[in-house]
Amino acid sequence: MGRIIEEIYVWKLPVRMYHWINALCITVLLVSGFYIASPYLNPPLGEAVWFKQMSGFRFLHFAAAFVFIANYLFRMYWALFGHDTYARFAGFRPWSMKWWGKPFREQMASYLFLRRDEPNYVGHNPVAALAYFVFVFCGSLFMIVTGLAMYGENNPGGFADTWFGWLIPLFGSSYNLHIIHHSVAWIFPFYVILHLYAVFRHDVVERSSVTSSIVTGYKHRVEEEPSLD
Amino acid sequence: MDKQQTYAEIFKARGVNRRDFLKFCGLTSVSLGLAPSLLPKVIHAMETSPRTPVIWLHGLECTCCTESFIRSSHPVMADIILNMISLDYNDTLNAAAGHQLEEVRRKIMKDYKGKYILACEGNAPVKDDGVYCLVAGDSYLNVLKETAADAAAVVAWGACASFGCVQNADPNPTGAAPVSEIITDKPLVNVPGCPPIAEVMTGVITHYHTFGTLPELDRMKRPRAFYGTRIHDKCYRRAFYDAGMFVRDFDEESTRKGWCLYKMGCKGPTTYNACSKTEWNDGVSFPIGSGHPCFGCAAPGYWDDGPFYTRLADVSFLGTDTNADKIGAVAVGAAAAGAAAHAVVTAVRKKKAGNENDQLEG
Repeated sequence: MGRIIEEIYVWKLPVRMYHWINALCITVLLVSGFYIASPYLNPPLGEAVWFKQMSGFRFLHFAAAFVFIANYLFRMYWALFGHDTYARFAGFRPWSMKWWGKPFREQMASYLFLRRDEPNYVGHNPVAALAYFVFVFCGSLFMIVTGLAMYGENNPGGFADTWFGWLIPLFGSSYNLHIIHHSVAWIFPFYVILHLYAVFRHDVVERSSVTSSIVTGYKHRVEEEPSLD
Repeated sequence: MDKQQTYAEIFKARGVNRRDFLKFCGLTSVSLGLAPSLLPKVIHAMETSPRTPVIWLHGLECTCCTESFIRSSHPVMADIILNMISLDYNDTLNAAAGHQLEEVRRKIMKDYKGKYILACEGNAPVKDDGVYCLVAGDSYLNVLKETAADAAAVVAWGACASFGCVQNADPNPTGAAPVSEIITDKPLVNVPGCPPIAEVMTGVITHYHTFGTLPELDRMKRPRAFYGTRIHDKCYRRAFYDAGMFVRDFDEESTRKGWCLYKMGCKGPTTYNACSKTEWNDGVSFPIGSGHPCFGCAAPGYWDDGPFYTRLADVSFLGTDTNADKIGAVAVGAAAAGAAAHAVVTAVRKKKAGNENDQLEG
């Protein structure tokens, strides 16, 4: 294909930092979370006081969770107040019928092979924005508040219990809340697969260096736009 | 029998000396989690307060709460407590029966209007006007409402009255509802468990006698003193949990060694009760102490949070052998397969487009 004719700085450093801290946290949270739910390692041999297998995984889960929360809050700050065209909530208005209009339908049609051309966006396309909203924004928020409610059980009357403990009766019981927290965690591996596929596919089809853009921050436009036609 | 007798008088009449009486007061204060400075108040209340009449109703239930209650651990204390609370109406324990007994209930309601405690064991089916549980010719729903109207406070004994228990498990054919959903205008305390621990039951009653109010309650209206922490938090097997040493099968050596029963479906980490602290039958043991995972009988909806021997609940609407992990794995697999199929279609179309271009150029 042709020469790079334009270089666009899309993902500023805070966004890239957020992305990779988030990815790391989610990985650690899933690995430790699945251990906590169903300890899959062989039990250590010896006296119980010598080992901290479960408490170690729990510590890892809680520590990663607090990093995850801080990172999430930072991203919310950046989305609301950061001077960053591509990372702001500004363009995302799912409550307005207009937002679901032509750009969204075109992108959806393209993903469903109902169109031959591929719409190209510098930032997130409308379908991607919706997916981020549902999985990353709402999904993370749900995991954070339900997680904090359960964390509060370790210290009744403490901060987490006082502010988030009311979620337990809301979900029926502590056990129900555990099961729901565990079930909803599955949206992350589900989403990661779709996310990686979409990124690789866009990169192959459009050659916009979207994959490396989350490391370097830059997307590229090439001279000769590849087209399916 | 003089209904205005105080506890101290009853103790005296039964030949209990003052030293034992003070010991009892101390024990009660400790079990209620009261500060030592409040001990004189407990003693004073026991010496001066007249006994409060209690009406104890039975609805849809198995009577295990009564069975537990009459086994309150220290025999002398259990006997005294039964006399203390002036249990004037309990259709299981009373010698009288039928109209005679119902007359007693109405008399208490009239004589002690607004002063008696209503203790409910079991819940009321509300479907079809409560026809699925009839007591003395009337629906239990009506009896409950009628008796609660003039009560000072309502005590919901056991999992049935507190949260519904097996009667209200899915699909709940009789519309059984916990007492808190039927009686909404009275101070109410839930004492869940199937049955609740005897000392917890007597503790709640004693607290009411001593202070004239219900004990401090948590979000689910359970007394904090007994339901403040999970069974897990004070479990003597917690060291094995933290170490990651879990029983995987009842036939294993680890079972004999007394490792943690978490993987055997123990509900201790999500169940609030005093079992691991107070234990049962005069502190003999409790389920985990006897090598069996906790069922979570004091937790809301414990019959629906099954099966008992797995950590992860069945998702009933998708069949009997489905849980969250299986659904999740299928969803992730489907996402991967969908992505792969999408990639193939993309490649084919691209190839086709390329061929068409070649033909045009050729």
